Amino acid sequence: MTVVLTARELTRHYEVSRGLFKGHALVRALNGVSFELEAGKTLAVVGESGCGKSTLARALTLIEEPSSGSLKIAGQEVAGANKAERKQLRKDVQMVFQSPYASLNPRQKIGDQLAEPLLINTDLSKAERREKVQAMMQQVGLRPEHYQRYPHMFSGGQRQRIALARAMMLQPKVLVADEPTSALDVSIQAQVLNLFMDLQQEFNTAYVFISHNLAVVRHVADDVLVMYLGRPAEMGPKDDIYSKPLHPYTQALLSATPTIHPDPLKPKIKIAGELPNPLDPPPGCAFHKRCPYATERCASEEPAFRPVGTRQVACHYAEQFL
Amino acid sequence: MSLLQIKNLNVRFGDANAVPVVDGLDLSVSEGEVLAIVGESGSGKSVTMMALMGLIDAPGRISADALTFDGHNMLKLSGRQRRRVVGKDMAMVFQDPMTALNPSYTVGFQIEEVLRQHLGLRGKAARQRALELLRKVEIPAPESRLDAYPHQLSGGMSQRVAIAMAIAGEPKLLIADEPTTALDVTIQAQIMELLLNLQKEQNMALILITHDLAVVAETARRVCVMYAGQAVEIGQVPELFDVPAHPYSEALLAAIPEHSEGAERLATLPGIVPGRYDRPQGCLLSPRCPYVQDHCRQQRPPLDPQVHSLVRCFYPLNQEVA
Repeated sequence: MTVVLTARELTRHYEVSRGLFKGHALVRALNGVSFELEAGKTLAVVGESGCGKSTLARALTLIEEPSSGSLKIAGQEVAGANKAERKQLRKDVQMVFQSPYASLNPRQKIGDQLAEPLLINTDLSKAERREKVQAMMQQVGLRPEHYQRYPHMFSGGQRQRIALARAMMLQPKVLVADEPTSALDVSIQAQVLNLFMDLQQEFNTAYVFISHNLAVVRHVADDVLVMYLGRPAEMGPKDDIYSKPLHPYTQALLSATPTIHPDPLKPKIKIAGELPNPLDPPPGCAFHKRCPYATERCASEEPAFRPVGTRQVACHYAEQFL
Repeated sequence: MSLLQIKNLNVRFGDANAVPVVDGLDLSVSEGEVLAIVGESGSGKSVTMMALMGLIDAPGRISADALTFDGHNMLKLSGRQRRRVVGKDMAMVFQDPMTALNPSYTVGFQIEEVLRQHLGLRGKAARQRALELLRKVEIPAPESRLDAYPHQLSGGMSQRVAIAMAIAGEPKLLIADEPTTALDVTIQAQIMELLLNLQKEQNMALILITHDLAVVAETARRVCVMYAGQAVEIGQVPELFDVPAHPYSEALLAAIPEHSEGAERLATLPGIVPGRYDRPQGCLLSPRCPYVQDHCRQQRPPLDPQVHSLVRCFYPLNQEVA
């Protein structure tokens, strides 16, 4: 299998002003994330608000420069790429956003919006572009007459199909989807998820699927990356993580997710409190203040993100949960 | 005698011939009961509750054979009389805690306002009670939070404040409209637990409006499934999830990723919920139903008792008696 996306110690820090007389504060929105992604596979990124999921998406899609670390897309190093190379890289990575209401231009016809990536990036004639758009529209389940319509004439599910079609127009190697179904109803969500799976099979695209919904992730992912406060907490094959989560945060996250067949004998792991202030993260392990197993070591020493069995975990005591 | 009795409730927007948004809804809630109302966007679940609280203005029209709460006929109450009931004996928690609170007043003031209006508490007594309420909803450091403004609180914390305001009048019925949809998973679990504890402690009835079936499975005893303004199935919790009788309940369950574990594709219903202008003549689900018969396209089925539940279908599923 070919690796299409390699991230090494990807980091993004923001300087935040705290007012006139105070110095700048540093928010470590993304802190040392590394992974490899093969063509046709899906990496799901899971975590709560403020864990750095969307910052990761922005770094992967070249919307923002990482502060440090390296990113390789389809064998091409992103840092140091010249203008022409960057243009090619942008073709290879596309994105689908959370809200299909905000991500489509309300004043442009659907056909034109879908043709725009082709207009910018290829030398196709108008007729050829139209033909390609029509083919893609059919593939995502839109009818030919939709070509002339505006976004407000579509339902949320249809709009997300359009957004997905637009992202797939250039047949990217990597598709980054940031919470693509969280604004949709369950039955529509199922339709859109099926479409994601179909297109992946058809074009052998690699997906980075960002979500907070663990049930959705379990359905689409091959590998799962769990993040907490900008750091990776656990990463590994989906089945291993769901059957035996090693990081206490992953355990809590899985336990907190409601299920349709609740097991009354299985006690819920409760974690108290909320996400710490990212301007002032606790010393040691970022999770230790909420962790039921925390020891003194956790409060002082930051755990390394290290291999344990088939996966990587950032916990001093990961072996005890094996 | 049930606490809340809704008989043949219809809500329309526009003239008397407009398509009803809530269509002949019958529902009753007993004291101390937990009822969940499930449905997708546009199914009429929130409008039902707004009708109950008298929050629907022209051009909305409400008609019902009965709409009684705790001995009051909610249809006949004057504005002044209604304001004495709503907010005290019947209270509501909304979906988005950030917009439910007034940004220009402190949390303490907003809670005290409820106490002033409904219980006649003033000054120190009101402040003391507000503090108790914040403690009851498990807000850390409640003394300092009384003087905080909503923007200084996180989403989970704001929702706790909104709950504190709702339970200030010791309501007999608490309506929670998607109370955890805007929150992260671990916070969602905390808020649901808090709501259920308060419900038990104060023996309130709780109506939980949600689109998340997994939340329902873990909390409610009785569920009402709504589709396009109609109740399509009303049943007890484990039964409705194990042996759904209405094709829509079945489809809703099947569309959850958790349900089709390991399968390549998710089961879906084709199409979308019918809008105002494309209502089918027969059963509202008939254009999307996999089990549809000619009879279904001609006539609308009534809500009839079946083996496990009340079902609005001519050909209910799973009727074998075990």
